[in-house]
Amino acid sequence: MWHKISWRLLRHELKRGELTIMAAAIVLSVTAVLSLSLFTERLQSGLLARSAEFLAADRVLSSRRPISDEWLEQAQQRGLDTANRVVFNSMAFADDNLALVDIKAVSDGYPLRGSLRTASEPFGDETTVINQLPGEGEAWVAAALFQELDLEVGDTLEIGQSKFKVSRVLTYEPDVGFSVFTDSPNVLIHYDQLEQTGLIQPGSRVRYNVLFAGTAEQLDGYYEWLAPQLNDDTHNWRSIEDGDSPLARSLQRAERFMLLASLLGVVLAATAVAVAAQRYCQRNYDVVAIFKTLGAERRQIQRIFILHLLLLTFISIGVGLLLGWVIQAQVIEFVAAQLGAELPAAGLKPYVLASATGLVSAVMFTLYPLLRLIAIPPLRVLNRELTGTDKLRWLHWIASAGTIYALLLIYSQQWLLSTALFAGGAVAAVLLLAVGRLFIRASRQAGMQAGSAWRLAMAGLQRRAQANSVQMLSFSTAIMLLLLVLALRNELLADWERQLPDDAPNYFIVNVAPGDVAQLEQRFAARDIESNDMYPVVPGRMTAVNGVPVRDEVTKEAGGDEADTQTNNAEQREGFGRELSLTWRDDLPPNNTIVAGEWWGDNPQPQVSIEEEVAERMRLSIGDELEFNIGGNTFTVPVTSIRKVNWGSLQPNFFMIFNTSTLEDFPATFISSFNLPKERQSELYELFKPFPEVSLIDLDAIMEQLREVIDQVSIAIAFVLVLVLIAGILVLLAQVQASMEERQQELVILRTLGAPAKLLSRSVTYEFLILGAISGLIATLAMELSLWILQTQVFEMAATIHWRFWLVGPLAGAIVVGTLGRLACARLVRRNTAQLIRKLA
Amino acid sequence: MLIQTTQLEKKVTTQDGILHILQPIDLSIEAGQTVAIVGASGSGKSTLLSLLAGLDLASGGDVSIDNVNLGDLDEEQRAKVRADKIGFIFQSFLLIPSLTALENVMLPAELAGHKNAEQQARELLTKVGLGERLKHYPNQLSGGEQQRVAIARAFIGTPKILFADEPTGNLDATTGHKVEDLLFEMNKESGTTLVMVTHDPELAKRCQRILKMDAGRLTEVSNDVA
Repeated sequence: MWHKISWRLLRHELKRGELTIMAAAIVLSVTAVLSLSLFTERLQSGLLARSAEFLAADRVLSSRRPISDEWLEQAQQRGLDTANRVVFNSMAFADDNLALVDIKAVSDGYPLRGSLRTASEPFGDETTVINQLPGEGEAWVAAALFQELDLEVGDTLEIGQSKFKVSRVLTYEPDVGFSVFTDSPNVLIHYDQLEQTGLIQPGSRVRYNVLFAGTAEQLDGYYEWLAPQLNDDTHNWRSIEDGDSPLARSLQRAERFMLLASLLGVVLAATAVAVAAQRYCQRNYDVVAIFKTLGAERRQIQRIFILHLLLLTFISIGVGLLLGWVIQAQVIEFVAAQLGAELPAAGLKPYVLASATGLVSAVMFTLYPLLRLIAIPPLRVLNRELTGTDKLRWLHWIASAGTIYALLLIYSQQWLLSTALFAGGAVAAVLLLAVGRLFIRASRQAGMQAGSAWRLAMAGLQRRAQANSVQMLSFSTAIMLLLLVLALRNELLADWERQLPDDAPNYFIVNVAPGDVAQLEQRFAARDIESNDMYPVVPGRMTAVNGVPVRDEVTKEAGGDEADTQTNNAEQREGFGRELSLTWRDDLPPNNTIVAGEWWGDNPQPQVSIEEEVAERMRLSIGDELEFNIGGNTFTVPVTSIRKVNWGSLQPNFFMIFNTSTLEDFPATFISSFNLPKERQSELYELFKPFPEVSLIDLDAIMEQLREVIDQVSIAIAFVLVLVLIAGILVLLAQVQASMEERQQELVILRTLGAPAKLLSRSVTYEFLILGAISGLIATLAMELSLWILQTQVFEMAATIHWRFWLVGPLAGAIVVGTLGRLACARLVRRNTAQLIRKLA
Repeated sequence: MLIQTTQLEKKVTTQDGILHILQPIDLSIEAGQTVAIVGASGSGKSTLLSLLAGLDLASGGDVSIDNVNLGDLDEEQRAKVRADKIGFIFQSFLLIPSLTALENVMLPAELAGHKNAEQQARELLTKVGLGERLKHYPNQLSGGEQQRVAIARAFIGTPKILFADEPTGNLDATTGHKVEDLLFEMNKESGTTLVMVTHDPELAKRCQRILKMDAGRLTEVSNDVA
């Protein structure tokens, strides 16, 4: 019988709109989580697939020694696509000219992700090459080598014991990467031709890579099998997300933002559920008292209301899932249309996650209010003031806090992030509560002298100080989270814009002879081409740290980092016994900041500044004596500063920078980067004709990819923002609604006593305006603090103060909360007094 | 004796000391009697009603219904006594706003597990003149109509005792009289014991016994009409 009563109550209440806020809150939490996680998962895999091009594969296994065939076979059995890539340096001859080149021998299937592009003449129109590699006896050669060796298509190139016909100009390799120190131009040959060159001998410096592509499950399964057999000293397993490239950084940052914004959205939606749950139970106090008076047993009441809540929750979850799916599908379609790309489908996980969020928040936030509801004494039918015991209030705080924490954890699956956010949130909540009360107390004086609507409003604020400070907590939280997501989004986009301005360098030049520097700079100036400073480069080795030879020490510590030549600068860290590109300079380069020690300025004493991560990896600190060997000359310098380098900046960056007096006497070549718009590309040939030894590296393709990725992420961020906005407004609405009910009795009395509707509606509006403005102000303060922590700790950005938000926060708070309050009040005031009294009765 | 109290008292502790809301009361009400409890506001009428109905617990003394001492029962058992033997009518009607008139009347019978709750409820609503308004929600009914629904609800389990707390206090005179008539008529038909708290001397006079509450003391007043 009880289930009939429960269902009947639910049906009528839903129809009469009494459960709208509670249902909307649950629907929203489910919708938000589902659409966010579906969307991010699909976008993420789309982005990863797109960015996998930078590796030419999903994963790369690289080694200094040949990789076992058994490993390849195992991968193929598991359904993975594989390809071999072997990279080494060698001299190449063409007629009487010779040059050091990077030779890349690749097997069929390469590249597994992305594609090669070639042209029929240097700097000519390029075409995308599909399923094709250089044939037997053929080589595809990078444009730069054409200059260096004075080559033409069809000429012969000698490499080791083999001769290759240069059949095409290699204009784009997806895995060419960002490292400007792959300073020798590439020659691409087929893997089958490798042996004939006779260049692969025991002890040759060769990097063997196997490329893998497949589904995430296949890749993970394979890695699980492979991992125990890998030797950290010789093997390295990589995906695009590892590493320091601007793309990897943008991706990581975007991922963090999406996760964070989604988490805030989830917390907001949960807050809406919490506020609504309280209301949901309070509304039923009378009903339970009547039930008890009519002889209902506690167990019956428990069952009726638990079923009622569960039914409501499940219905709302169902609606939420449907809505979330539809929204996400629309957005995906829009994004896909914008990008002209398909986004892969997502798994079941987001659905489970969303349903769990709805269920957990509905059940946990209702737990305590429901306990109180069930304990309502029957005597309430005669004494309406009775609300039962409030002794277990601590239980409510624990349950609510636990729920928020659980939701953070469920959603992010990261202990550290969840704990940090939770702890931060808890501190903020206590502060908000305290500051809120303080504000209300301070407003007393002001209120006494104001006009009558103001006076009423102030008196109201005073009387409900306790309730108001809790309300203010949810107002402030909602406003703060909204501002936070908004500000963070702006920061992130602006940061990307700064990183990739339209005039960002799109070409690197290396190997500029000292005598050519001035002339080249003149030519840039004459053609109005913006270029960075010229940096001298001296090849050298670091041979000892504090007298301990580097080789021995490094193979142990940095052995796990034997990196693929491509995509990032990890190569330089492989072992510092290797050749490094050293530079000297008087001023600290742009995008570098000193994190320890001091920049030398005019100090002529020999010294070196090292990059932060190298210092960490090599366990170097200020004062360590480093020994270098340059062309047989050995010298020792102390470390006097450690720099943080923004590797995302498209300028020459260095691990080791010396002061001028230390290096200037060594022979050097120069490198730089510059911007030349695509449409002026034809000028390149003319520009560099007098400098045949200068190598040119084209970054356009890479930057284009980076821009695309950023565009995708921007759309995603806008979407997240809208969802968070809706969640925020729902919290405000739920809270205004709840506090309106509390004000109802007072309004009815004032109305009955003849207070004009205008006065009442004004006083309520003022009260909410003040609440909103104070909440907005506190929210802005809290937002600045959180943003400062996030920017400096999570996003590795420079912290800024957002003056605009100090105006926007309180203003938006006052307007939104005031408007919602006015609307809610208008409904009450419109009714006639008799109706109101009856409603109260 | 259907209702019996011995030395029933209620006190509460306040900042100024102990406040005696009810001085020890001995009262016996036989089955079928109609009893009015009158007195000024705050004299303790409603408190007495709540103790008699087992909605609240006494500070001292006993109250028994049908020879069962309510003081010996826990909350659940008292609820069972209410479900089986007691009906209520309140000044503010106390209907459940999200249930229709019919469903409100069915509720006690359903809670008690009666099979034909709906049939009984329809008959009772027809009897109180609301046969056409079964599907209306309380806020779609006038005050008088709401109280008639409450009367129908009070009678559905054929209770032995009906407690009424100012049943016409929220109604205008004309409507109030109609509701009174209906109440007494149905009470007579069913032979239910009626215990009614009221301010209204005219209404009190329609009962067989009148008890006057004054500052927590209960005295019996002779009723000329009875």
